[in-house]
Amino acid sequence: MEGGLAMDHAMRAVADPTRRAILRLVRKDELAAGEIARHFPSMSRPAVSQHLRVLADSGLVDVRPDGNRRLYRWRREGLRDAVTFVEEMWSDSLARLRAAAEREEWPERARAAKRRPPADTKETAP
Amino acid sequence: MTEPDAKVIEQTLRISARPETVWRYWTDPQRMCDWWGAAAELDARPGGICRVEMGGGPIMRGEFLELVPFERIVFTFGWEPTTGAPDITPGSTLVEVTLTADAGDTIMTLRHTGVAATHVDEHKSGWAHFLPLLTDAVTRATRTEPQP
Repeated sequence: MEGGLAMDHAMRAVADPTRRAILRLVRKDELAAGEIARHFPSMSRPAVSQHLRVLADSGLVDVRPDGNRRLYRWRREGLRDAVTFVEEMWSDSLARLRAAAEREEWPERARAAKRRPPADTKETAP
Repeated sequence: MTEPDAKVIEQTLRISARPETVWRYWTDPQRMCDWWGAAAELDARPGGICRVEMGGGPIMRGEFLELVPFERIVFTFGWEPTTGAPDITPGSTLVEVTLTADAGDTIMTLRHTGVAATHVDEHKSGWAHFLPLLTDAVTRATRTEPQP
């Protein structure tokens, strides 16, 4: 799926409190649809199934069949596009901050910097 | 293979300028507009507003929480709920900037994380829960074996 679209889907999927509650349930454990539905006694089974479908379509959960059951589990990669969006916003902006601060303090060094390859912008492991 | 989720929103840059200079690009509205946004309202003291209008786009609204001159800035980060703005509720995420002097340069590190789950209003939408989930994922990814 194209990045922006995937992010849109993921953001819409988590905008609903029921779906967020489902995500928390399947974050650590893989659960069958029936087990998930039992956590929402005031909601009809088809309504819960609809939420599960939205989560699966947006890539936020993985589904696999197990006999006549369907098992759901949180898919961490589903958040990746949203994270990438925030990361790109910062890396683009911070590169401009660096250029501006260097221009202000060291005009001659800033000119020299243009001659060397850019970017020691990097993601660091936690 | 690189585990795609084994990353946090953390970026580190070396800047050929002193921390005092870099600091001003976070606290002086005019300088902030040199790199981020078309207009900025910054009241750089704890509790002060940090509001940055992107040119023709969304408006970032935050609040300064912590300022250690030339070393550390912490502010909340969110978008005002306008059409087309990313769904990050003001107050729901946190940006921490640290500046470290190094041989005349500045090492600048930015971390962008969700706030503690207890501070998040359950009924607020989307991103308020997004980043906490993410940081949880990252923490777990670094503590446990890679998933098959």
